[in-house]
Amino acid sequence: MKLNNLKNIFVALTIVIGLTSCSSDDDAIVIDPPVVVDFSGTFSQEDQMGRPGINTVFSATPDIENSFNVTIPSQQGAAFQSLFETQLAGLHGAFGVSYENNILGLDITTLTTVLASDVLQVAPGAPTTYFDGTNVLTGRTLTDDVIDVSLILLFGGQNGDRFNGQDLDGDGTPDLPILVTDGVSGSGETPSSTFPYLETPHGS
Amino acid sequence: MYCRKHLKLNKMNKIRKTNLFIIGGLLSLGVVFMAADHIDAPAVVGTTADITDLYAFEGADPDNTVFVANVQGLLAPGSSASFDENVLVEINIDNDGDLVEDLVIQAIPRDGIMYFFGPYAPSQTGLNSTIDEDTQYLGQVVISSGSSATTSEANGISYFAGLREDPFFFDSSQFNAIIGGMASGGFNNPGNDDFDGTNVLSIVVEVPNSLLGGTFSHPAGTGVEVFNTWAEAKRKQ
Repeated sequence: MKLNNLKNIFVALTIVIGLTSCSSDDDAIVIDPPVVVDFSGTFSQEDQMGRPGINTVFSATPDIENSFNVTIPSQQGAAFQSLFETQLAGLHGAFGVSYENNILGLDITTLTTVLASDVLQVAPGAPTTYFDGTNVLTGRTLTDDVIDVSLILLFGGQNGDRFNGQDLDGDGTPDLPILVTDGVSGSGETPSSTFPYLETPHGS
Repeated sequence: MYCRKHLKLNKMNKIRKTNLFIIGGLLSLGVVFMAADHIDAPAVVGTTADITDLYAFEGADPDNTVFVANVQGLLAPGSSASFDENVLVEINIDNDGDLVEDLVIQAIPRDGIMYFFGPYAPSQTGLNSTIDEDTQYLGQVVISSGSSATTSEANGISYFAGLREDPFFFDSSQFNAIIGGMASGGFNNPGNDDFDGTNVLSIVVEVPNSLLGGTFSHPAGTGVEVFNTWAEAKRKQ
């Protein structure tokens, strides 16, 4: 469909049929001036995202956050991977431990390298999910618990259950805080199985 | 004719956004956990160009992929937030894994209608975009504001734009407490979904995979064939 058709539609929509109320005895058709839908100009980037939470999690300062949003994905790795690695190492260090390779077997450099390029992989020919126990990073559904998946990849260690409030030394207090789940599941989300999938807004 | 609603950020929105930028005592590392992409950077917080989430999943028709790009999150019920006619939302698709877009799907509102262009190969990649309005227009849909969803379909693509319940869920309050150094035990079980009861402005397109170009082997080494996607909000200069 060409834009000319689009413009014609707009013109048609602006035709107002009404009754004249003054001197004429006949009905009249009042036609507004033709409306041209204008899409011209240059649009400059302000925000971007691929995977959920990457910028919020890893960018340590407002300046880095702003910069991340206007750095194209092909340049994000070079610009941010080392910063992200420092951030993740520091988070572990705050609790007196070091990062452990995660359930995907990724060391801290590899993990932050993968995450620094903030794009979402999508599999058109396989189940799409952020992680469903079998498939990983093949999309993102409306009910995927992306927070828990992300936390597990960052803090869960090789079994995914590190930072889960365990009291391994039996002293009555957890050895590490709970950082592998926020305790919120997607059970409250009930998207439709048909387009447009998202639920009706609250308060409507 | 359509009357454009005025744009007003609700108070709750502003409060939440402020809270998430409290830099806590923990490590002095700043905002270190996660809140999806809601309010992710000062330059876009509270603006009409703040992308909150991107979803991409198989459609009800398994030969289609659904893209959902949400903006202006944490809207309280009754909020009259609306899409900004100066903000182009662009879904980028990389078909060869070089992290450069090969195809774009563009959405921009005009007078209560969301117009869609592509997927098509843009004349330029990167931070600046133009709209090839003469040859790449493919569809449009009336923007929905209430419970009923106005949808349309053209050229095999389904379109929706409007207010929806925000499907994101997260205990962001506890997150704030943790980064504030006030929650040494970490998250709670169960936690509290702070996004429960909030709305967001959604753009949804369901596109036949045949229009989405090629795939490459997953960079994580899983062997699954994928394309890369990401969403951008771009403001008219």
